Amino acid sequence: MKRKPTKRMALRSHIAFLGLSVFMLALIGNLFWIQIINGESYRLKAERQQMSDTVLSAHRGVIYDSNMKVIAQSATAYLVYINPSMIKTETQKTLVVDGLSQIFDLDRETVLKKAEKSSYGYEKIIGKIDQTKKDELSAYIAEHSKDKLSTIIGIDPDTKRYYPLGSFASSIVGFTGSEDVGRSGLELYYNSELTGTSGRIITAKNALADAMPNDYETTYDASDGSSLVLTIDEVIQYYLEQQLMQAIEECEAKYAYGIVMDVETGAILGMSSMPDYNLNEPYTIKSEAALGAIDELETDEEKNQATNDALFAQWRNRAISDSYEPGSVFKIFVAAAGLEEGVITPESTYNCTGQIKVANYYQHCYHHTAHGVQTLREALPYSCNTFFITLGQKLGREKFFKYFEAFGFTTKTGIDLPAEATPKEGVTYYGVDKLGIAELSSESFGQTFQITPIQMITAVACLGNEGKLMTPYIVAKVLDADGNIIKETTPTVKRQVVSEQTAKTISSFMEEVVISGTAKNAYVAGYHICGKTGTSDKLTVPGENIASFAGFAPANDPKIAVLIAIDEPQGINTGGGAAAPVAGRIFENVLAYLNITPQYSDSEIESLTMTAPNLVGQTTTSAVSSSSNFTVRIVGSGEKVLTQVPSSGQSMPKGGVIVVYTEEDAVRETGAVPNLIGLTLTEANRKAVNAGFNIKISGATQTKGNILSYRQSVPEGTNAELGTTITVYFRSDQDVSD
Amino acid sequence: MASGQKAKTKKNNSLLNLFVAKGSVDIPFFLLLMTIVTAGLVMVFSASYTYSYYHRGGSTVIFTKQLIFVAIGLVLMWIVSRVRYEYFRYFAILIAGVSVALLVLVLFLPEYRPGFKRWINLGFTTFQPSEIAKLGLIILLAFLLEKDSKIITGKIPSDLKLCRRISGITNGKLVIYKSFTTVIFYGIIIMLFAGLVYLENHVSGTILILGLGVIMLFMGEVKNKWFYIIGAIALLLIAVLIINPQILAKYAGERIVAWLDKDYSPMGARWQTNNSLYAIGSGGLTGTGLGQSKQKHLYVAEPQNDFIFAIVCEELGFIGAAAIIILFALFIYRGIKIGLRAKDKFSSLLVMGIAFQIGIQVALNIAVVSDFMPNTGISLPFFSAGGTSVVILLMEMGMILSVSRSITKKE
Repeated sequence: MKRKPTKRMALRSHIAFLGLSVFMLALIGNLFWIQIINGESYRLKAERQQMSDTVLSAHRGVIYDSNMKVIAQSATAYLVYINPSMIKTETQKTLVVDGLSQIFDLDRETVLKKAEKSSYGYEKIIGKIDQTKKDELSAYIAEHSKDKLSTIIGIDPDTKRYYPLGSFASSIVGFTGSEDVGRSGLELYYNSELTGTSGRIITAKNALADAMPNDYETTYDASDGSSLVLTIDEVIQYYLEQQLMQAIEECEAKYAYGIVMDVETGAILGMSSMPDYNLNEPYTIKSEAALGAIDELETDEEKNQATNDALFAQWRNRAISDSYEPGSVFKIFVAAAGLEEGVITPESTYNCTGQIKVANYYQHCYHHTAHGVQTLREALPYSCNTFFITLGQKLGREKFFKYFEAFGFTTKTGIDLPAEATPKEGVTYYGVDKLGIAELSSESFGQTFQITPIQMITAVACLGNEGKLMTPYIVAKVLDADGNIIKETTPTVKRQVVSEQTAKTISSFMEEVVISGTAKNAYVAGYHICGKTGTSDKLTVPGENIASFAGFAPANDPKIAVLIAIDEPQGINTGGGAAAPVAGRIFENVLAYLNITPQYSDSEIESLTMTAPNLVGQTTTSAVSSSSNFTVRIVGSGEKVLTQVPSSGQSMPKGGVIVVYTEEDAVRETGAVPNLIGLTLTEANRKAVNAGFNIKISGATQTKGNILSYRQSVPEGTNAELGTTITVYFRSDQDVSD
Repeated sequence: MASGQKAKTKKNNSLLNLFVAKGSVDIPFFLLLMTIVTAGLVMVFSASYTYSYYHRGGSTVIFTKQLIFVAIGLVLMWIVSRVRYEYFRYFAILIAGVSVALLVLVLFLPEYRPGFKRWINLGFTTFQPSEIAKLGLIILLAFLLEKDSKIITGKIPSDLKLCRRISGITNGKLVIYKSFTTVIFYGIIIMLFAGLVYLENHVSGTILILGLGVIMLFMGEVKNKWFYIIGAIALLLIAVLIINPQILAKYAGERIVAWLDKDYSPMGARWQTNNSLYAIGSGGLTGTGLGQSKQKHLYVAEPQNDFIFAIVCEELGFIGAAAIIILFALFIYRGIKIGLRAKDKFSSLLVMGIAFQIGIQVALNIAVVSDFMPNTGISLPFFSAGGTSVVILLMEMGMILSVSRSITKKE
């Protein structure tokens, strides 16, 4: 049976082996082709999938106010996405959908729809989630590691924009949309500066997207965006916003907007459009009126449209995007042009009959008042239309238009904010060729053309700045991520519009307007305020008007300019009645905040303020005798004065009350604050002192007419410590029309 | 294992002499084998630790298991090598019978992996009946080819009734020889094995069985004309499959499509192959270094298994990969040498059959891994982790070693 292998077997096995060897050789050749010839391309492909390239989003720069208070900042957040194509089983799908919808409180159906897009590799679930939510999700993924959720759910770094001050300066700051891109305001205008450059982390990752155990990681750091330091001052902005909000309430107005500008530099210290919105929730309509109106609509389509409109309305920075007819405020520029061109002197007279015939029509003064014979100095406080019509006509269209242009009404101011309205010849104003006698006459008292509030305040500030027109700006400095200044705005003088002398003269007239004219409600004792009011019809809404005030202070060395416009005020709806008091309060607060020492006139000192003497240490008798101008109220049975309210050096009205305490630990006396509204200055003071309080007088007091108090800082009925100072605001109801 | 001298000292024990193989094993073959086994173990460790960490709860779980099975396999190999080769003949029918029984059994067992009836779950490990079926076919064919040696090579008319009748009808013009009927019978045996493996949804196993069968017939001196026919049929079949892949089972058909179209479904059918290519390509000339593969981090599917050679290529580079192929070639060649020096046709065919089993598996595995042919699950002997596979392989090596002892034994 034993048969040795035959030669044929040997031959055949060698043939078979040869075949095998040839095949193996071919395999080696194939490996050579893959590894040596094409190795690099395969290696790159391999790396592409092994390297997880994580984008390190650069932190968006911070926005600071001028005192380095944070207005906007970014924090690390996360973005969650899924890879629907990796969902292989029903269990996985259920876990993914349930988990995500529960953790992030999302609609289950919506998540399910995304999860079912099985041919897609990326579906964003939610962005801007914080660390806690991220940890919750990671724990969930780990908990279900059996079902390999980590292959389906991905977490990427994202950033979230926080606005710590909420609605503060919302119309200027703006907000960011998806991908952290600025959508409005400074966030939009300075988007590229704020954005910075994203970095990358390149990590070796396995197919489950976990890091490989070896330390293969390269990081390209993100360079954070630049930060902005605004010229906006938190305190000033806050005063402005507060006052505008109150104005809307008091005047039942639709909108109110205002600007506070540094006269010497053109820097914007405050700018606001009310009602505003919360920057952290830009898509929530803040205005209850708007919400109510939307609720009343019937169809969803109408509601959507209205919601959209309301959102755009609340985002709108009216101080730069709205155009309005300036009305009588514009007269100051006509006056300046007249003086500069020498067609009029401060003492030139004109007899106002209350109307003037221009072409075929009569133009009237407000309420058809005949102002009689008046000089320029007098015409401005009266805001006499016929005077300025005549002046405009004297100037002629060329000169008129020259100043119209020079004050900057034909171009954008160039402020560093988006959406500044562009003046258009033939649309917002008449070109020089189109200025016929009728047009010239109407324009001379501020009608038939439109300008923006920012144009107006820039031009007004020009008169306070020795005739130099500045370029307004809102960003003072741009800082790099380490806080180094990389760009600093230097104030830019656009041009000398009128001579320093003309500017001074007009300023002095404007001060007169505040002391005795239509702007008397903007008066603040000690601060010499220059201003002009305007009331203009809204062309788009018949019967409604815009009441405005523009001015600057202090007169001898103007520091700030203020513009206030109240859109559709009800009741007292004139510039002098509605806008001027708001401006006055802002001047008062802001000038005091800027440490500008009030310079009281003798009469002011006498009627308004005295300094509380130091009574501490004196005997009760000497305290009473040494304060003849005040009422001294003694509390306790001690011999000597231990403390006093108000304390020494505080300003208080003449005849005010000083409460002195003569015992240690004496209980401070308190009393109910009386009603101080609707009283004259003397009445208010007496009533307050009788109740044991002092008043601080604010507002128009140096003028004629019925000056009555209209507001008190501590509400009636409040239980307050005796001697407390209550600010009482006064205003005049006479000659404040226009 | 060089225990020839020890065997001599036990000459007196005559009963044992009947069974115990004497003589020394073939040293070159043994050394080549040990080199391959060692390299395989090292690569299993390197390739498996990430997969093992993620899927088995520890980096060394797969490696440890492999190590244990290799140890068991080596002991069994030594025992088998001490069995006189003559006795293997008596096991031929038994092994073949058990193989067929297991191949049938696995079809009725619950599916270990959905859609595939390849595995018998033993609890501590799984077992593929096709592994033993390969040996079963080799040993059965070796036995039959030796037994029918004269018939196959000679011209003896068949004495089957049918054949005689055909002869009668055609007036003796058409004589059907015994060699023909016997080869047909072998063909039926091979087709039985192949068919059963195919029913497991195991295309690669089927190809391997068919290839092994043909090589066994070829080396077993079946007449040349048969191989022209077989070659023609094989070529035709390949052509048909490439043109019409859909006639195969869905998964197998798609793999042919994925092989032809290199851009086909990169996340699906070509994921394995593409990642294997990325690994191989990443290796370059000298490789990333042992243990440094990145593709084994779950990109290459089961890197310690069918695609382990891709990791070999990545870590050891072209030089290392080529060296391992050459190592296998030398090993197979040495196996053939042993086979040709064997004392009888049975042991010769058995040894060469086993050598070619290794050879075909290596060639097909590397071809798959390097996208030289469509993706199909075929393991790389001694490298791919797999307990029962390596134990059976080492026992087969034991058979070769046993035969090699008979060559060196002085009679």
